[in-house]
Amino acid sequence: MTNQPSNHFQSSSHLPFLKGPFRPCLLYASLLLGAAGLCYGSAFSVSELGARAAGMGTAFIATADDGSAIFYNPAGIAFQPGMHMQMDSTVIVGEFRFTPSSTPPGQVVPANGYSQSIKPHFIPLASLYATAQISKKMTVGFGAFTPFGLSANSTNFNDGDPNLTKFVGRFAGTRVRLESYWFQPTLAYKLKDNLAIAIGPAFVHTHLELEQSILNPLGQDDGLKFGRTAAPTVFPGVPVNQAALIIARLLPEGRSRIAGTANAPAISAGLLWKNDRTKTNIGLMYRSSVVSHLSGRASFAFGDQPYPLEQYVGPNFLPNAFPNQAITGSFATPATYGIGFSNSKFFKTNFSVDVRLQDYSKFKTVPLNFSINEDTVGLTNIGLPAEKILTFDFRESWDIAVGAERPLNDKTTVRVGYLFDGSPVPEKSVGPLFPDSTRQSFTLGGTRKVGEKELTFFYEAMKFMDRQTNVAANNYQWTNGDYHNFAHVAGLSLRFDVTGLIGKKH
Amino acid sequence: MKMKIVFNISLMALAVAGLDCAQAQTLDTTTFVVMGEGLAAGMANFGLSSVVQNQSFPSRMAASMNTGFNQPLIEPPGIGDVVGYPGQEVEMQKYPQGSVRQFYYPTDKTKAPIQTPPLFVLNTSVPGLTLNDSISMRPVAPVVQKNMKQTVFNMLLGFPQLILNNVPLWTQFEYAKSMFPTMALIELGYYEALDAAVSGDPTRMPDPAAFGATYGTVVAGLRGLQAQVIATTIPNPIDTAYFNSVQAASTIVQTVPFVLTAGYHLTPQDYVTRNGLLEISTQFTNGAIGALPAGSTLSAATAADITNRVNALNAQIISVAKTNGAVVYDLNAFMHKVKVSGVSTGTGTVTGDYFGGFYSMDGIYPGGTGHALIANDILSFLNSTYHQNFPPVDVKSIATTDPAIQYLKPTGHLFTASALGISGSQE
Repeated sequence: MTNQPSNHFQSSSHLPFLKGPFRPCLLYASLLLGAAGLCYGSAFSVSELGARAAGMGTAFIATADDGSAIFYNPAGIAFQPGMHMQMDSTVIVGEFRFTPSSTPPGQVVPANGYSQSIKPHFIPLASLYATAQISKKMTVGFGAFTPFGLSANSTNFNDGDPNLTKFVGRFAGTRVRLESYWFQPTLAYKLKDNLAIAIGPAFVHTHLELEQSILNPLGQDDGLKFGRTAAPTVFPGVPVNQAALIIARLLPEGRSRIAGTANAPAISAGLLWKNDRTKTNIGLMYRSSVVSHLSGRASFAFGDQPYPLEQYVGPNFLPNAFPNQAITGSFATPATYGIGFSNSKFFKTNFSVDVRLQDYSKFKTVPLNFSINEDTVGLTNIGLPAEKILTFDFRESWDIAVGAERPLNDKTTVRVGYLFDGSPVPEKSVGPLFPDSTRQSFTLGGTRKVGEKELTFFYEAMKFMDRQTNVAANNYQWTNGDYHNFAHVAGLSLRFDVTGLIGKKH
Repeated sequence: MKMKIVFNISLMALAVAGLDCAQAQTLDTTTFVVMGEGLAAGMANFGLSSVVQNQSFPSRMAASMNTGFNQPLIEPPGIGDVVGYPGQEVEMQKYPQGSVRQFYYPTDKTKAPIQTPPLFVLNTSVPGLTLNDSISMRPVAPVVQKNMKQTVFNMLLGFPQLILNNVPLWTQFEYAKSMFPTMALIELGYYEALDAAVSGDPTRMPDPAAFGATYGTVVAGLRGLQAQVIATTIPNPIDTAYFNSVQAASTIVQTVPFVLTAGYHLTPQDYVTRNGLLEISTQFTNGAIGALPAGSTLSAATAADITNRVNALNAQIISVAKTNGAVVYDLNAFMHKVKVSGVSTGTGTVTGDYFGGFYSMDGIYPGGTGHALIANDILSFLNSTYHQNFPPVDVKSIATTDPAIQYLKPTGHLFTASALGISGSQE
């Protein structure tokens, strides 16, 4: 047998539009859709969607002079003559560590706390941008990027492991994945030679996945609820709350997985004003909030280990109480408002500052609606409510980014930056889904021009401020404790000037 | 010989204390499960019944620890064979027993009792159960069997399971594990020692190595569930009121030690059993000394042999506990203290002698006050080992209503050697 390429690739290579400079871009786009990984931004925002911007601490609203302007400030593309393709890739290596301040008696905690790193350890993240100036005043562009994403995994166990060796906070969550893909055509228009506006209607595809353990024997959830109901039968004469605790331990620990997708419209807009005399730019950007109405499935599993009550309540009791089913829900991502200043008059250096407000106060709850619930007519002993509301109560967050870039010569430019990123996550919502805190990042980067191509890289050292939580309501979720997080973020960007191939400069 | 016994116990106490220091761990009392035999079950006064079950030391401990705990309560006058007496025939219940298993009666007397037994119990102790039984014996239908031990087992751990379809019939060990205990107390091995001591045959004691292996299986099984396991050492049966020194026996039967040593060919170091006391009292009342039936006395040599074998089993318990991360409560040392010096109840002192207030009428198992004192000693141990603050049981209050405290001690004239026709010098 020979190692032949598949027929699919053979046939694709014959498609005319997959030839030339578009081909790697389209393949890259397919990579973005198929393997986009996620990182922790401010809560679940992702700021590092362009290597040039990231090298300047993401202070790019007033600079916005490459394809990633579609994300940072769409008006920036109005000042980019010709036609360009740009691919950005970012890799995140997170070192997330949680040491609980209290645990159930007998809990086995790893010596250095729990790792919440995802597997594989490297999270890839890709963005694609294209711009084309179609007249002296008008430029169009297209971006495919992921401004919101999240991936955390605290699943350090198998279902059959002893409970006290499993991740202690598993009833608050073990795994979360969020991917919010934006596909954003953009139209930029020069009102004057030094003033441009832009608007970018976007199609947003969101995928959300949550996993957690259920039937917490010590938490105020279904295990204890069942225990209170069964107490008079199982342990008559024993105080109900004491009996409920004992009975809850006779149930198996369950796992739930909720996954859904949604499509929604969104919009971005920007303004960029340039003062040639003072070499000062001022930019404004806006990215709308998106409310995604999810539809998907809820799945529940209770392992294959027999449990003491099983032969009394029947093997189908729990599967019937927690039926796999279709669900709906909604999920909001925040609006973003930004203003940026840049100046390149001094020291042959472009200095840039951004201030951004993310309206995370929109992310208060995630309601989940179960189609088969305790109110369903004709069904009894269903353990699911019609609506379960996950409450997070995020607050608004502010980012301040400062950066500088200086050309060393015609072909080489270097950058440095700093980013202060305030956390929108209140103490009560810090846990395995959002092990978040305010963070400070230091960045550096550079660009090298080779012919019509620019190769850009950046590195970001992201230090999460140590966070200690102590919320009484989370005592039996076991999520109180110390969070020590750090992330290495690095990226590459490849930008082509394809004007000479398929276009012309105006 | 007594010095040697004390020495052995002291060594063991040191070993246990050292073990405790090394094992400061956290304690979760949510699900408190007890594996034991008659002592932990609340056997007393010639039977197992709710009268003492409700006062058993595990029950007292649970109340102090404020954790849910239920037991397979038995209607008085109770069930079970009494150590030292021939086994009884099993009969169907008759007045005053109705259901044998006692159902739950609400505190509110206006509410009807719940006419179903609890589905599970947390005190899985069964009178007469050996360590080997705990991992092998399981309920067998029908509930009432010719064999008393099996019937008792059925009543305690097989009801209502034996009348339900397709539910597991667990051994005691399986039962305890199935309750997913957060805290388990093991009081096993005592029946083996009692059986050997009462029959006067030390060879009936299990081989220490085999005992240790089985005990290890039990402890490891419970520790595998992350339960905190408290293993209790086996009390020395010689310390019970079943075995009385010649000096103590002479007080009980209203005579002087010389009458017993000369009349029954005993040495001052021998022991008179509970059954022996009854027979001697009968003979004294009739004014005639005669041969005692088998099992009335225990020689000092046999007692020493029993003691050594108990110590050997306790060494196994300590070793197994250490290996598996369990803690050891030295019940043997506490019972020895009761026998040697007595224990204060707040208003007086109870001793391990017959009619001494600690033991019930059977001389083997404690009465309500005895159980309360054991509970307090274990609670004190838990408080120091696990840095807890469990309040002690109110022994003083219990003692005021405990029949074992109220037993009337013999009074009146002494039975003299001459009156009983015994010649010789008391010197």
